Amino acid sequence: MVGKIPSKYILKEMNILIVEDESRIAKRIERMTRAIFGDALQSIKHINTLQESVKFIENNELDLVLLDLNLKGSNGFDLLTTAVSESFHTIIISAYKDQAITAFEYGVLDFVPKPFNQERLEQAFHRINTKEKIASNTIKFLAVKKRHKVQLIPIEDVIYIKGAGAYTELFLKDGKKELHGKPLEKLEQLLSFSFERIHKSYLVKMSKVKEIIVESGSKYMAELKNGERIPIGRTKYKDIKAKWF
Amino acid sequence: MNLRFFPNFLLLFFLLLVTSCSKQSVFKEGQTIFKIGDQQEWAVKDLNDQHWENRIIWVPDGQVFWSRTKIDLLKTSEALHPYGLHLQVYGEYEVFWDGVLIGKNGNPGQEAILDPEGKMWATFSIPTHLTEAGEHLLALRSSLYYFPDHLEIEELKIDYYDDLLIDRLIESSYMHLFAGAFLIASIYFLFLFLGNKKEYATLIFSICCFLFFALIFAEYSKAYLSIHYSMHVVRLRIISFLMLGISFLIPFYFSMQFPFPKQKVLLTLYTGILLYIFLSRHVFELTANNMALSMWLFSFGIVVFGVYKKMKGARLVLLTILLSVPIGFVTPFNKSLFTGFSLILLGMFYLLSLRIKEQRLAYENSLVQSTRLRLELLKKNIQPHFLLNTLTSLIDWIEEAPKKGVLFIEALAKEFDLFNQIESKTLIPITQEIALCRTHLEIMEYRNEINYSLEEEGIDFEEKIPPGVLHTLLENGITHSLPLEDNSIIFKLVFEVNKDYKCYTFLTFSVPVDQNANHTKEGTGLKYIKARLTESYLEQWELTSEPVNHGWKNTIKIYS
Repeated sequence: MVGKIPSKYILKEMNILIVEDESRIAKRIERMTRAIFGDALQSIKHINTLQESVKFIENNELDLVLLDLNLKGSNGFDLLTTAVSESFHTIIISAYKDQAITAFEYGVLDFVPKPFNQERLEQAFHRINTKEKIASNTIKFLAVKKRHKVQLIPIEDVIYIKGAGAYTELFLKDGKKELHGKPLEKLEQLLSFSFERIHKSYLVKMSKVKEIIVESGSKYMAELKNGERIPIGRTKYKDIKAKWF
Repeated sequence: MNLRFFPNFLLLFFLLLVTSCSKQSVFKEGQTIFKIGDQQEWAVKDLNDQHWENRIIWVPDGQVFWSRTKIDLLKTSEALHPYGLHLQVYGEYEVFWDGVLIGKNGNPGQEAILDPEGKMWATFSIPTHLTEAGEHLLALRSSLYYFPDHLEIEELKIDYYDDLLIDRLIESSYMHLFAGAFLIASIYFLFLFLGNKKEYATLIFSICCFLFFALIFAEYSKAYLSIHYSMHVVRLRIISFLMLGISFLIPFYFSMQFPFPKQKVLLTLYTGILLYIFLSRHVFELTANNMALSMWLFSFGIVVFGVYKKMKGARLVLLTILLSVPIGFVTPFNKSLFTGFSLILLGMFYLLSLRIKEQRLAYENSLVQSTRLRLELLKKNIQPHFLLNTLTSLIDWIEEAPKKGVLFIEALAKEFDLFNQIESKTLIPITQEIALCRTHLEIMEYRNEINYSLEEEGIDFEEKIPPGVLHTLLENGITHSLPLEDNSIIFKLVFEVNKDYKCYTFLTFSVPVDQNANHTKEGTGLKYIKARLTESYLEQWELTSEPVNHGWKNTIKIYS
C-alpha cells in the first residue's frame, strides 16, 4: 500500500498543516505526507507552537490538520476543540494512546499513535475521502464556534443535520439550531455509525425516525418522532428502506 | 490507646475508689487533751481532767507529758476477736486503755539517755474485756525529745486487730502493684527516648512516671518499714521533693504538647511559685496541697488553651483534669492526690500515644513519598511523551541516516544506564547529575535538531544533589524554549557557596514560548524538585523560577 494514493481518492488538491513540536518527527510526517499525496499536495506547513497554529488556522484555508496533542508542555485539547470546529478534518499523531478515545469523541478523523510508519499514515489519509463507514468512530460531540469560544454540542442532542453550502446546520432536541463549520460530506464520515444521508442536503439520526411516508407525486418523506418531516432522496430511498425498515 | 475504652477505664477507677472508703467506723474519737508531768493515776478512766489543755506547743528537754483521749466504741467487739489500736504519733510513748497498760513504743522520758526506739506507726491489741460499747479512755505517757513541738495524735484508728494489720498490707500491696505499673511505664518510655533522643516529651513522661512510682513507694512503704519518729521528717522531705518534681513536670509536659504564647515567662513564673511553696515552712500537708493545687491550676490553664486552639487530644486531657476535681473533694488528701495524679498521667499517656501515632503516620508518609519520588524519577524515561517521541525520532534516524541512528541509540543507552545507577538514591554526586543532563541533551538534539549546550561555572565536584533535580530543570528548559536565531539553546549551571548557603543557578538562553499557556504544566516538574529538596534538606532550601531577558532563571539555595 505504500506509495501514492490512487488518484480516485483525491478529489482536490490538499492544503495541510502539521502541528508538531519535535522537528525530527515533523520532518518525518512531512516527508511521508509528500510521498503519499504526491502532486495532489498543494501546500504543507509545519508549526511548532500552539499560539501560532491557532493563528494560522484562523487565517488560512486548510483541508487537513495533523496535530500532536502535547505541544511544548501545553495541553493540545484546546487546540483540538478549535480544530474540530473548523471545516477541515483533523488527524491526531500522538504518543499518548490513552487520549485516543477522547480525541475520537471530539470528532477527529483518525488517531495515529507514535511511533508510526508511512503505511499507518496512509491508512489515516484514506479516511479523508473514503465513503466507507468507519466503525471505530465514537464521536460524542460536535464543536461549534461561538463568538469567543468553542462550544461542544453532545451528539445525542442532535436530531438531524442540514447542509448549507460549506456549512451545516445542526437541529437539536430542544428546537435550537447551531451552525457547524464542516460540510455535510465530512460530517457524514464522522457520524456514519448512527446518522444516514437520506437526502443530498440532510443527515438524519435514524433512531429519531418514526416512519417513512409516501406523499403525493411519490415524494418520500421521513417523519421524525417530533413530527417534523424531512425529504428522502429518490436515489437513496431503496437503500434506506432495505437497511432500516 | 483506644478512646472507646477510656470511659470504661475511668469507671473502673471510680469503683475501686468508692469501695476503698466504704467500711464503717466502729468508734468515735473525742478531743485529746495534754498535760506536762508524769503521774501514773493520769491513766485512769475517771479523772478530773478539766484543767488539762487542748494544746501544748512546746515540751522542752524530752520531759514526760500525758495525753488523754475519750473514745466512744460504737460496737462491742466479738468474743475472741480483739480490737486493735493503730497510732501515728510523734514521740516515744506507753499506751493505757481505761487505765490498763496495753503497749509500749520506745522509752518515754529516757530518750536523751537511750538510743531511739519505737516506730512512727504502731498497732496495739486491746484486751477484749475492755472493749464493750460505750465510753473508754486512751491515755498516752509520752516524751518528744526530737520534735518538742509535735504534740499531736496524727492518726488514730480502732478496728479489729487482724483487720488493722491486714488491711494496711492489702492496701499497700495494691498500691505497690500500681506503682510497679508506673515503674514499667517509666522504663519503657525511657528506652523509647534513648531510641530517639529528640523526643523530650517521652523523657519527661518517663521521669513523671518514675517520680510517681517513687511517690507511691514513699507513701505506702510505711506499712512495713519501721521508722523512728525522729526520722519521719526525712520521709516527708522526700515526698515533698517528689511532689515538687511532679508538680513542675506535668504542666511542663502539657506546655510542650499544647504550646502557648509567652511560654518561657509563664513557666519560669510557675517554677518560682512552686519553689516558694516548697521552701516556705508550712506543715507538710499544706505544702503538698498547695503544690498539687498550683500544678492543677496551671495544667488546667494550659489544657484549656489547647482546647480553645482545638489542639489534638486537648479535650480528653481536659476531661481527665476536670475529673480529678470531684475526686479531690470526696476522698482524703493522700488518696485524691494519687487518683488525681494517675488520672492526669493517663491523660499524658493518651497524648503521648497520639503523638506516637502521628509520628508513625508521618514516617509511613515519608516512606510512601520517597517511593513515589523514586517512581517519578523512573517514569521520566518511560513516560510516553519521552519514550515514544524518542522512538519515533529514532526510527526516522535509522531509516534516513543509520549511522547517526546508532549514535542516537548509544546516547539513549547511556541515559538509561545513568538512570539505573541513581534510581534508588536520594543524593548523587553533582558530576553524575551533569552527565545525565548531557546525555539528555544529546538525545534531545537528535529529536529536535537544535544545538543544545550546557556550560558549567564554579562546580565543586565533591558536592551532592538529589537525583533528577537539574535534569528536571533542563527538561523544563527544553520544553518551554524555542531556539535562538542560530538554532541553539544554551544552558548554564553556576555554583556558588558562602558561609550561609550553597546556590545552584540554572540559566536558559533561548526564546521563551508564550508564558501564559505553559503555566500549569510547569508545576509537576517543580513539584518533583521541591519534594526531592524537602526529602534531603527538610526546610533548609529555597527554589526560585522566573523568566528573565535571555530566557529563564532557576536558583536552588541550600542553607547550611
